[in-house]
Amino acid sequence: MKILCDRQQLQDAFSVVGGIPPVKTPNPIVQNVLLRAEGDQVVFFATDYELSARSVMASVQVLEPGAVLLPARETGQLLRELSEPTVSLAGSDDHRTTIECGSGSYQLVGDDPAEFPAEPQFDGTVELQVTSGAFLEMFRRTSFAVAREETRYAINGLLLDYDSGNLRLVGTDGRRLALCHQEIEGPDEPARAVVPLRALQALGRAIDGEQDAVLRVQLGDNRIAFQLGTTTVISQLLDNRFPAYEQVIPKVAETSIEVDRLQLERGVRRVAVLSSGDVRMVRFEFRDAALLLSAESSGVGRAKHTIDATIEGPSSAISFNPDYLLDALKVSDREIIRIDMTDDSTPARFALGETYTYVLMPISGS
Amino acid sequence: MRDDGAMAPPADSGIARTILHADLDAFYAAVEQRDDQALRGRPVVVGGLGPRGVVATASYEARRSGVHSAMPIGRARRLCPDAVFLRPRMAHYAAIARTVRAVFERFTPLVEPLSLDEAFLDVTGSRALFGDGRAIAQRLRAEVSAAVGLTASVGVATSKFVAKVASDLRKPDALVVVEPGTEEAFLAPLPVARLWGAGPVAQERLRALGIGTIGELRRTPVEVLALRLGAHPAAHFAALARGDDPRPVVPERDAKSISQEHTFDADLRDDDAVRRCLRGLSEGVGRRLRDAGLTARVVRVKVRFPPFVTRSRQVHLPRPTDDDAELAECAIALVAKARASGRPVRLLGVGVAELVAREATPATAAVPQQRELFGDAGEVAAAAARADLEARRARLTRALDAIRDRFGHDAIRRGT
Repeated sequence: MKILCDRQQLQDAFSVVGGIPPVKTPNPIVQNVLLRAEGDQVVFFATDYELSARSVMASVQVLEPGAVLLPARETGQLLRELSEPTVSLAGSDDHRTTIECGSGSYQLVGDDPAEFPAEPQFDGTVELQVTSGAFLEMFRRTSFAVAREETRYAINGLLLDYDSGNLRLVGTDGRRLALCHQEIEGPDEPARAVVPLRALQALGRAIDGEQDAVLRVQLGDNRIAFQLGTTTVISQLLDNRFPAYEQVIPKVAETSIEVDRLQLERGVRRVAVLSSGDVRMVRFEFRDAALLLSAESSGVGRAKHTIDATIEGPSSAISFNPDYLLDALKVSDREIIRIDMTDDSTPARFALGETYTYVLMPISGS
Repeated sequence: MRDDGAMAPPADSGIARTILHADLDAFYAAVEQRDDQALRGRPVVVGGLGPRGVVATASYEARRSGVHSAMPIGRARRLCPDAVFLRPRMAHYAAIARTVRAVFERFTPLVEPLSLDEAFLDVTGSRALFGDGRAIAQRLRAEVSAAVGLTASVGVATSKFVAKVASDLRKPDALVVVEPGTEEAFLAPLPVARLWGAGPVAQERLRALGIGTIGELRRTPVEVLALRLGAHPAAHFAALARGDDPRPVVPERDAKSISQEHTFDADLRDDDAVRRCLRGLSEGVGRRLRDAGLTARVVRVKVRFPPFVTRSRQVHLPRPTDDDAELAECAIALVAKARASGRPVRLLGVGVAELVAREATPATAAVPQQRELFGDAGEVAAAAARADLEARRARLTRALDAIRDRFGHDAIRRGT
């Protein structure tokens, strides 16, 4: 194997697969990334047996076709450091690869490519198509809400919920829920899948460079495949026991508030400085066309901040975890947002965009 | 094992501290002799009586025959065939130790227990109240004797290290005061083995330099010591030889962690035995937490595989606990991660960290709480049931503690 390629292209193609190899594994060979040079292109492939990704670097000068395994972590770190325009890679018979770039030469010890797991073949039973940039936007607005800790529900992944031309992405950790939807091309029958966050993160790196392409999503019984141009990400699905999320989105509310998003974001960020303590908490009080934000940290200090707001319904007070709120305000692009709320034991609904809804459970007993 | 927490008064404040090291003489054996008149004046050995048993404590009568703690029990029987051999009654000793601890706390809140029968007391701030170190130590010995009928040896000095050496010097029933400024002279004739941290290897290296006493060590330039011992240990021993030991006395309440560990005489392979041991250690740690009024956010385990491979694992709890059963569940799960089934184990340890006062633990209703989205009726009921179970477990644990105080540790045991 011997190739000469563009450094930026190499970095992009490698970055799609580079995050997949596991740090700890009983089978260390999968800590490598497979590089296969054939024709005028190079294929990268990595897997951890549950998640695999394949990316292609086109128009490469392949001087000698062949395959090598590159240690994922070191290769990724090295490639990020390179800055010259072209890079050459050359494999040797003893599974070593020499990367040359500018005046540097780096030899990486890999493994036998013949021993590497084969690329999975997968044809789903349902196919959806969505614009890649729109999908990435939905992912960005929902993924932060996905539970990072183990919980009783299958909420350690993002729900893809498709029904008659409407695709929803839903992320929740049991305390807040982020929902985005999008009209798309697809079949008549509904489809649902809970996708591990890592699969979507790998996909996100691929989409970064291709905002206007068509993303094809293929769904099977327990696997999902994403295809974007020459990039493929295939993942196992998580348990389908996603909670009944529609039930917790409030349909009615006692009080509705409209407020400037940037002012709210800035206000919450400031007031939250004095909300440390055991329970992070900012109090929202609505009265006389104003939203009063306040927080107190015993022995540290207290904060108050008033924002103009349009209020419908009785005046009331409610407390939220400021971090949960800021996560969502940051990724909203709406100038004026609406908050619908009732009391401290009922979820509040934040309308953060035409197609973006955020539901946040308040803090009670404050 | 414990970490030093932040402490007052600061060791570097310039004012000479007054530190007591109090040590109950031949504690377990002395308790047995106190409780049974027939044993007084006779050699008594308390320890494991099985084939692999070791001596926990020997009375001074037995020590005259050469019996000492950590000696295999069979060897003790050969050295002192006339001795009375007894199994330890740990809960009984622990209850007495708590009474003694309460006596200590009459003199200062700064009591750092080292084990059941040993503690450091920083009485610097109590001198105005009770007189100088000697006066406090005399009164302490008298009050311990009045409270539990046992003798304590006490060392008084300006540092923990010198106080401990002093209490050990003329045991039993002794009071040794090292006046400020006389530490070097006091330490000089003593063997280097007395130095805190001087194990067999360090002693051998010092011997190679012709150093046998602490005085000889003090006269040796630290650079020379460093060549043999390394820079850090050399500086450490040189400071100790001058009587310099800035370690503060850290009361249990301020401890950053509490742990217990057990080294097995024979490597343990059996999974059930490992779990049993972890439950026992968890109970000990839980008891110390409850006695100190603390709960823990972190549970840790330590596993040593032969010969010396040590693994540690820890877990953050969603809510701090002082519950034995919960600690044990965590410890068992953590060890299962570090150890393949059947793999022999030489040492097991259970510890807790990130300690918070029990009062500060968020209760259910009064304190602000982040509510759950999917808290439907079933979930609320489940949460209530969980809270109820926890309350019942807490009551059970307190009842167990009380029963063990009165009737001994083995009087009652959890079914598993």
